[in-house]
Order: sequence, then structure tokens, then C-alpha cells
Amino acid sequence: MSALGHYIEEEGIATVAIGLIRPQIENTHPPRALWVPFELGRPFGPPADPEFQNAVIRAALRMLGEGGGPVRIADFPQTDPRERPDPGWHPPILEAPAADHSPAALADAFVAETARLAAAYDRSVAARARTTLGLSGLPIAEAVDYVARWLRGAAPESPVGDMSAPLALRFAIDDVKAYVLEAALIPGSKPSSRQLGDWLWTKTATGRALFALRRAHLDAADERLKLIAGNFIVPGIRVLAAG
Amino acid sequence: MRLGDLPAAMAKRLAELECPEFATRPWVAGPPLAERRVAIVSSAGLVVRGEKPFRGRDPDYRVIPATTRPDQLLLSHISINFDRNGFQEDWNVVFPLDRLNAMAAAGEIGSVAAAHYSFMGATDPVQMETHAREVAGLLRQDKVDAVILSPV
Repeated sequence: MSALGHYIEEEGIATVAIGLIRPQIENTHPPRALWVPFELGRPFGPPADPEFQNAVIRAALRMLGEGGGPVRIADFPQTDPRERPDPGWHPPILEAPAADHSPAALADAFVAETARLAAAYDRSVAARARTTLGLSGLPIAEAVDYVARWLRGAAPESPVGDMSAPLALRFAIDDVKAYVLEAALIPGSKPSSRQLGDWLWTKTATGRALFALRRAHLDAADERLKLIAGNFIVPGIRVLAAG
Repeated sequence: MRLGDLPAAMAKRLAELECPEFATRPWVAGPPLAERRVAIVSSAGLVVRGEKPFRGRDPDYRVIPATTRPDQLLLSHISINFDRNGFQEDWNVVFPLDRLNAMAAAGEIGSVAAAHYSFMGATDPVQMETHAREVAGLLRQDKVDAVILSPV
């Protein structure tokens, strides 16, 4: 990000970068950067908190009017209040883990769970007037079915005209995760990302199915599939936690 | 991000990620904030719904018109090792267009650009250089004189 700032500033436009990883800012020597102590993925801090987000933007834009450069790095002093868990948040559904861990049983449980989440997902989307699904271009039921077919051991053709089968799988998985996590954004609650992630990866059939899909293709002959299994299904921190 | 919150190996990898070396140290001054036209340039792999998502480490960029609505913006960054719940709940966490529009309406900034831009942050920055300079040209045409760069 800081590198982009360098190129754009060289072209004559003043820039200020929000930076999440301080050593990377320091190593890139951007014209101006504001380091924020928020988790990766949240450069402007907590969701649905305009005042806090404004404070971050103001701190960054203020640097444009200050001297002291080139290369000015400032630190934003506040932490993200949404890192704290919301004790009032509860997952939309709780599944008892199936005793049968065969790929077919995991796939069945995954498909059933996503169907059961439909009402919660619809409520969540209605409350925010928005969804982030759509990377695969597939309706969610088709994305779920495509992921489930891979888990059952098939190597299905791509259901998306201009995507290879592994790429369609990657985006279908992105859509499935977004669907399940958006279903868990219960209107009125303020869950932390850790609460949501703990639920997805340790309590749901979807999480178990995705872990199984990862394991099944880690040594795939198709290099693209192997890459996706190793890097783009389960977050690294969750792989480490699972041991 | 407080790197100490991450597992040590992951923190080390992020801290030691190779960064490009630059021969220059550019520094552009400008008018007071209340007169500036502000654009967002994001590296979150953002795309407007219906456009081609970023695939792998594409070095090019996508245009996000200022008329884009929150339900039209998707995040296609290749990495899954950052939080997406914030963006799912509120696009301003990654793309604070509502905040900038409110600041412009209040006279805090001069105006908001007609278009914003997104790259795929996992791409080698050197490969993005030509595209970044192209974006700078588009920003100049739009009379933008302040860019806020937003990572994930």
C-alpha cells in the first residue's frame, strides 16, 4: 500500500497511507503513513462506528497539511472497541457435530446447515441492505452444491464459464464463508471477528467440511488445486490452532 | 495490527515481507484540507459487482465510481488471512466513502473524487507501478489532490 503511495506522490498527488503492519511501513518509506493498531482487514477500525472511523480518517488527512516530510509515520492511539467480544451475541444455529466424519457425511451436514442458515442470512442482509456474496457469480445453493461435490470426491467441471474449476472452487468457498458469516451478523449484536471465527471454524458443519476439503486436496496433482487447498480455504491461524 | 497478537511465525513473515526500494522521497504539498478533493485508493481487491474479480496476483486496478452503492462492492483479495467480517458488516471499514461524503457535506474536506480505485495488495508492488502511475493520471484529470490509501 505504501508503495502505491510512493508512485502516486511521484506523479504529483499528495498521499497518506493507512498502514496495518508497522515494519512494512517503515521499510517502504512512504511520504506519509498512519499506522493503526487494528486487526488486518479493518484499516478504518470498527464497523458501524462512524465517529471512530471519522477519527481515523481525520488523523490521516491531517498529515497532508503538516510538514515534517518526506517520510512521516504517525501512530493512531486508539484500539478498536469491536475487538472485545459481545457477550450478548449468540450464533444463529448450533449443530451437534456428526459422529460420521466421512466426506459424504460432512458434505451432507454442510449442505443441510447452509439451508438452515437461510432465514438468519436473509434477516441479516435485510438489516444491512447489503450482501458481500457474489465472487463466484453462483446463487448460494449452487455454490454450496459445487463445494459439496468436491468434498464428496468428484472433480466437477467449472460451473462458471470464464473460470477454471479450481478458481470457481476458490470463489465458491469465499461465497460460502461470506454467507455463513453474514448469517451470524445478528442485527443488534456486535460480535468480534474472533467470536465469529471461533464459531465458524470450531462449531459448524461448514467449518468441518472446509477443513476436510483442505486436507483432501493438500497433495493434489493439480497444482492450482493444491495451492487453493493449502492457502485459500482455511485461514492460517485456524490451521495452526487446529494442530 | 499489533504483531505481538499473532503467532510468532506469522508475525515474523509479515514483518519481514520484502518491500521495494525507492531512489526518491517524493513529498507534495497542497491547499488546506477544506479545499482538497479526496480519493480512496484501496489494495483490498475491491470490485464492483458484475466486474471481473481479481484473480491471483493481478497487477492492474479496478475503477469504483463514486456512485457505487454499498451492496455493489465485493472484496476479491486473494488472501484469506485477514478479517472480512468488518467489511461484511460495514463497507466503510475498508472503503470509507460514506464518511468522506459526510465530511465533504460538512465542509471538512473540499469534495470527493468522481472515481476511486482498487488494486490487489498481494501483488508485487513493482508490477503495479505502471498501473499506479496510470491511476495517478486519472486522478489528476479528476482534479484530485489528496489520496487516502487503504490496505487490508
